[in-house]
Amino acid sequence: MFEELLEDIAQKNGLREVNTNLKLATGLGAILLCLLSSSYFPPLFIALVLTGAILFLARVDPKTYAELFIVPLWFAIMSVAGIILISGGQDIFWKWNILPSFSLSVTRESINQGIFVFCRVLGGMSALCFISLTTPMTTIFTVLRQCRIPEIIIELMMIIYRTIFILMDQVVQIYTAQVMRLGYSTVKESIHSCATLCGAAFIASWDAGEDLIQAMDARCYTGKFAVLGENRPVERGPLLALFAFLSLSAAIVIFSGNSTII
Amino acid sequence: MSSIILEAREIRYRYPRGMEAICGISFHIRKKEKIALVGPNGAGKSTLLAMFNGMIRPDSGVLLFDNQPVRYDTASLRMLRKRVGFVLQNPDRQIIAPTVYQDVAFGPTNLGYPEQEVKRVAAQALRHVGLEGFEHRPPHQLSGGEKKRVAIAGVLAIDPDVLVLDEPTSGLDPSGSEDIMELLDELNHEGKTIIISTHNVELAYPWVDRAILMLEGKILEEGIPEKAFGNPEYVRRAHLSLPTLLELHIELQKRGFHLQGKKPHTVLDMMQAIETLFEKTYSSASPGAITIYNVDRHSPESFSSWHSEHSWVSIGAMGTRAKQRAENERIHLDFTYGVIDKCILRALLGENSLIMTTETMVDRVYQRVDSYVKESGIPIVVNMMEGGLP
Repeated sequence: MFEELLEDIAQKNGLREVNTNLKLATGLGAILLCLLSSSYFPPLFIALVLTGAILFLARVDPKTYAELFIVPLWFAIMSVAGIILISGGQDIFWKWNILPSFSLSVTRESINQGIFVFCRVLGGMSALCFISLTTPMTTIFTVLRQCRIPEIIIELMMIIYRTIFILMDQVVQIYTAQVMRLGYSTVKESIHSCATLCGAAFIASWDAGEDLIQAMDARCYTGKFAVLGENRPVERGPLLALFAFLSLSAAIVIFSGNSTII
Repeated sequence: MSSIILEAREIRYRYPRGMEAICGISFHIRKKEKIALVGPNGAGKSTLLAMFNGMIRPDSGVLLFDNQPVRYDTASLRMLRKRVGFVLQNPDRQIIAPTVYQDVAFGPTNLGYPEQEVKRVAAQALRHVGLEGFEHRPPHQLSGGEKKRVAIAGVLAIDPDVLVLDEPTSGLDPSGSEDIMELLDELNHEGKTIIISTHNVELAYPWVDRAILMLEGKILEEGIPEKAFGNPEYVRRAHLSLPTLLELHIELQKRGFHLQGKKPHTVLDMMQAIETLFEKTYSSASPGAITIYNVDRHSPESFSSWHSEHSWVSIGAMGTRAKQRAENERIHLDFTYGVIDKCILRALLGENSLIMTTETMVDRVYQRVDSYVKESGIPIVVNMMEGGLP
């Protein structure tokens, strides 16, 4: 049911030991440039570079990475098809008047627009994947603290993070127990099993909450959560790579202007 | 005898709308003792343990810690919990932070230690349980034994005088259980009082100083392990089994073999009793020697030069760091639990052996061997490995 979580991949990726701020800057900078660009080319360039980084530097399994892309990619293809058919233009290649007031058409402008949106999706997705596959959540807490996010929010995030995995374990166990006893063999049975699963998960989380308070009290809890996290020093190599990547991308954004594919 | 650290006087406790879990129990625990609470499920072991750090307040009766009655206001409870560390049965329930380091640092941070101090004690606690280098790992990626160690480290970081562990070996494989028991032994040797609850009689029997047999919220039997586990009737009523050594001893005596000395605690005791019985002596071979490799002082080079001359000896490691060192240096270990006794057994066969251990445990080897030599009159020599000593 749940094979490998993104977090697990992030915990052992090849770029784990690189300074978190640099990795976040790479991802966020890439997203920003994708949004600023008005040509299809810069997002495509960003997508290629980041995909290369994910596959060769972070050494993420290509199959996992491809699977991650499939759902949003489908979504993107459908939307782009819609954009190409609906948005109009001057240079018409193909046109179909379904209703007097509504027609579908493929034009030069609509194709350019569709490809532009598609490339942006690719660029944005790869940037998000870059962050989630190279930066474990545990290191982001430190950055959040540096950003002066209130302690209470970070504490809640840390507790939630830890609890998710405990709850997940419980859910997997209950689900397996249900499957072993043919809990999902028919539709009716599936609905029933799913309801029981939710109920059991709720009770488990309630229990976990009570235990959490006990465990914290037993270690003298006074409202402090050790947020002294890890962060690696900024090293010259990654810093130069980040700088080169962002400035090259920015230059491409500027010079590609409004260039279109056809 | 050392002074009393924990004492219960006629304590009773009833769960809300439930049956009475503790029905009038009195006992005391001395400093630096190793105590095991044993008994069937539902005997009240966990409830009793949870009273030691004030998580459950008895309905009546007095609980004294360090000769002071336990008080239940927030400030006193905090002080009590600093001195009595509690390790829950399920480490998943005990570990609360997203990384190992943050979890171990939780206690010290809440006690208000400055940041440098927190770092120091957390690193020390992790070193103690043999989890150096695990600082940034998230707990959900660890194995059961490693999680247990993190839970123990989290409690060690607040440096309590008493360690209370609920079923420390549940869910662990035999070698993992032995490692945990040895770690507890090590901590006890450093002066901590250790109280555990367990079903594992075979592990508890040679380990404890005193055992408390519980049944239905009452104490059935209490005393040194030979006494606590020695009554087959009580042991049966408590849904336990007799330790194999004791059973063997009883069966031998039933058959008219009059074994001398105290009831056997370990295989070594049993061997000695049997050998005295048959008056077998070691005239054939002189006993082997035991060499100590102190991992805190000796360098790996001095070991390899020693090992090249004595390549056929058995090697045992005692203590978490010694085992870690053995793993790092790819030394094949023959024994990892009950090491001193096993080496004495080898020595009796005329074979030499090496014990890898840490600074604090070196005395332990000398003490154990000396006491054996005195008892048996067989001269076994303990040497310190040469080289590397300052």
